[in-house]
Amino acid sequence: MNAPIKLPSGRIDRRTFLALTGAAAMAGGEAKAQKRGGTLRLSAQSNPSSLDPQTGNSGSDHVILYPLYDSLVEWDYTTLQAKPGLAEKWAYPDPSTLVLTIRDGVTFHDGTKLDGAAVRYNLMRAMSHERSNIKSDLGTVAEITASGQTVTLKLKQPDSALPLILSDRAGMMSSPKAMEEHGRDYDRRAVGTGAMKLVSWADNERVVMVKNDSYWKKDRPLQDGMVFQIIPELPTGLRSVTAGQNDLVYYLVPQQKQLIDRARTLGSAVGPSLLCVQAYFNYGRAPLDNVKVRQALNYAVDREEFNKATHGGIAETTSTILPRAHWACATEYSGTFTYDPDRARKLLAEGGHPNGIDILGVGYAEQLQVQQQEVLIEQMRKAGIRLRWERYTGPPTPAAFFAEKKGDILLAPWTGRPDPSLTYQLVFGTGSYFNAGRGEGAPGLTEALLATRASDDLTVRKEAFRKLQKIVTENALHLPLLFRPELTAYSAKVKGYKPNLLGKPKFEDVWLEG
Amino acid sequence: MLANAPRLMLVGRRLVQFVPVIVLATFVVFGLLKLVPGDLAATLAGEYATEERIAQIRESYGLNDPFLVQYGRWLWNAMQLDLSRSFQSNEPVLEQIMHRFPTTMLLVVGALLVSLVVGVPLGILAATNAGSRLDVAVTSLSSFGVALPNFWLAMILVATFSLSWGWFPATGAVRFGADPAGAIWHAVLPSIALAAGGIAEVVRQLRSALIEILSSQYVRTLYAKGLSPSAILWKHGLKNVAVTLLTVIGLLASRLLGGAVVIEAVFAIPGMGSMVVRAAIVKDFPVVQGVVFTMVILVIAINLMIDLLYTIVDPRVALK
Repeated sequence: MNAPIKLPSGRIDRRTFLALTGAAAMAGGEAKAQKRGGTLRLSAQSNPSSLDPQTGNSGSDHVILYPLYDSLVEWDYTTLQAKPGLAEKWAYPDPSTLVLTIRDGVTFHDGTKLDGAAVRYNLMRAMSHERSNIKSDLGTVAEITASGQTVTLKLKQPDSALPLILSDRAGMMSSPKAMEEHGRDYDRRAVGTGAMKLVSWADNERVVMVKNDSYWKKDRPLQDGMVFQIIPELPTGLRSVTAGQNDLVYYLVPQQKQLIDRARTLGSAVGPSLLCVQAYFNYGRAPLDNVKVRQALNYAVDREEFNKATHGGIAETTSTILPRAHWACATEYSGTFTYDPDRARKLLAEGGHPNGIDILGVGYAEQLQVQQQEVLIEQMRKAGIRLRWERYTGPPTPAAFFAEKKGDILLAPWTGRPDPSLTYQLVFGTGSYFNAGRGEGAPGLTEALLATRASDDLTVRKEAFRKLQKIVTENALHLPLLFRPELTAYSAKVKGYKPNLLGKPKFEDVWLEG
Repeated sequence: MLANAPRLMLVGRRLVQFVPVIVLATFVVFGLLKLVPGDLAATLAGEYATEERIAQIRESYGLNDPFLVQYGRWLWNAMQLDLSRSFQSNEPVLEQIMHRFPTTMLLVVGALLVSLVVGVPLGILAATNAGSRLDVAVTSLSSFGVALPNFWLAMILVATFSLSWGWFPATGAVRFGADPAGAIWHAVLPSIALAAGGIAEVVRQLRSALIEILSSQYVRTLYAKGLSPSAILWKHGLKNVAVTLLTVIGLLASRLLGGAVVIEAVFAIPGMGSMVVRAAIVKDFPVVQGVVFTMVILVIAINLMIDLLYTIVDPRVALK
């Protein structure tokens, strides 16, 4: 029997994470110890926005989508590097052509076959359907052809990000027959090729799944079924696991770590994630169109203190949008902005604000978010930055900043994407929704972004990301603070759970004892 | 007979009142939701928003139309019992409400029962022993009950009866139709937590009404005629406080409906309260409007029922 994987309460760095996920992998790899059967009951904080991967609009959907859908490409838990999924292999015969070879013998939950035509149908729908939220993910695709189990994507320009893009929503394959049959109702149907089949979805209540008996992956699924209970309040979700009504709760906040440790019946896992707590800047107008002011804001924050005060010191502080454990992270920039209020004052003076500056922030009204905002007010005050907040509840918060253009900065998390180029494109790209100013943040940024997708050689891509990060850091295009660790708690009967670097839990290796 | 002319007139009057109340309530809520800051279309577009998608959502949901046109469209549909579809889930709102209504009602009815079962005997005890230590203890407890935040009591109940002793579930609900025993078992702790204020209210109102009656001249006459204290209490005292008790029940039922919002959150109960909170946060107008519509009907129905019961307990009420 394996004991729950207890991770240290200190910060998670690359080495620790690799060691821990390695240990977890070993635990999960003990095939003899794995047991089959039972229903895994999970407490999920958010109701899915949709069970159609193409029309959903929330990053928290993925955890519920993963058991229902396989994606064309999968990623490695520790490095996020692409690995075969429904596409057993892929190749770029030339920089503007991507050829996918689709795994044979896979069927959708409705019994129809997964072939090249089905994949083409899915990708075309993602690119053209009026309710598709992922059109821009496939924006470089010009033409798709399919023959047998082969799918060929002709590209408008070289795009090496596509394999990892196909590990996200765009690569989750739905049955064309089911999509045709259900129309808009497909949002609530979900007919994929995943380890679990959808039984029912009671809105804001629960999503029930049962195992797919004809699943193509050997020895999977390990559970007979899964039930996601929608419990928006995290303390209530944790209580449901303590009381034995659920087996696992994810996306807990660091403040709950002590509670978990005190409850002797619970195990926990802390993993790094791509979820970057940061302040977005509207650098399309004054005062943040001034690079000196943006740099001043970055030097005015004591990230270590912020981490201790708001995340119990267990998060990874950062000056970049990728964590140190990520293959594309230019680690030399991860600690660029050290706390230096004097330097911040000097930069403000150089930027034409010798008497300090007033900054209006937009933020969430939730308690933990308000705490973060208060810490920033206090820290920035010492550098002559008079920060005040306009608060909103829930999803209207980012909308107020990005759509209505309120405020100078927005304190909100970025949940990350499997391919880092998409993260940079969405957060800093010209015209992107998440770039509130919509303009080019710095000269050369667009070219640097394109360069990150020009080659499928990882070494070349890593160098391109280093150059891109240099531009972002030198121009202080945002105020990255820390990566919120992914904290999961589970009962003693849950075995084999492994965190992943994306920070969106998968449960394919989880089994239940007893 | 229940269906005599004065009672029918009473029902008729209440039904006529229903129309302006429902229009006013839903109009005010609609207006308040419009005043809440934040762009609904951008909110609906979520993390994958683009300018194009936001514009498309605005158009498809009719959000470009003037305020009165949007409200009028909703009202017209509601009059035909079409409460529209949720902006978030695209599910018919009426279906969602019907799905959650029994869960919330079980909670409210349970809390009402607990309030009466505990509150009435305590109120009688306090009134019949007015000025004694027992009376002081009961009135102090009821003052504490009024001041007690029900979410705090809920946490204490969960920590004790669920997490420590494992007697009751800590979260969730079971539909009454599917498993009546399971539904009641799940509703015990939430109902007690919700009832704390109700018990105190019943005790205080019943005590003061009963003390007033027991110290009245006709009760003194009854004592003088040689009736036993228990006969006076049961035959005359309680009969005369019935109207007060009915008034308390009516008010309590409306208040418990509101209080269910908090308790549903603490116990993760998928009821109407949690539904309307989530909908209000994301500005899901059709759901909020649908719940308000249902709540107004419910409160009017409760008041009507109480009015009819008044006429049975005291027929003079109907004649007035």
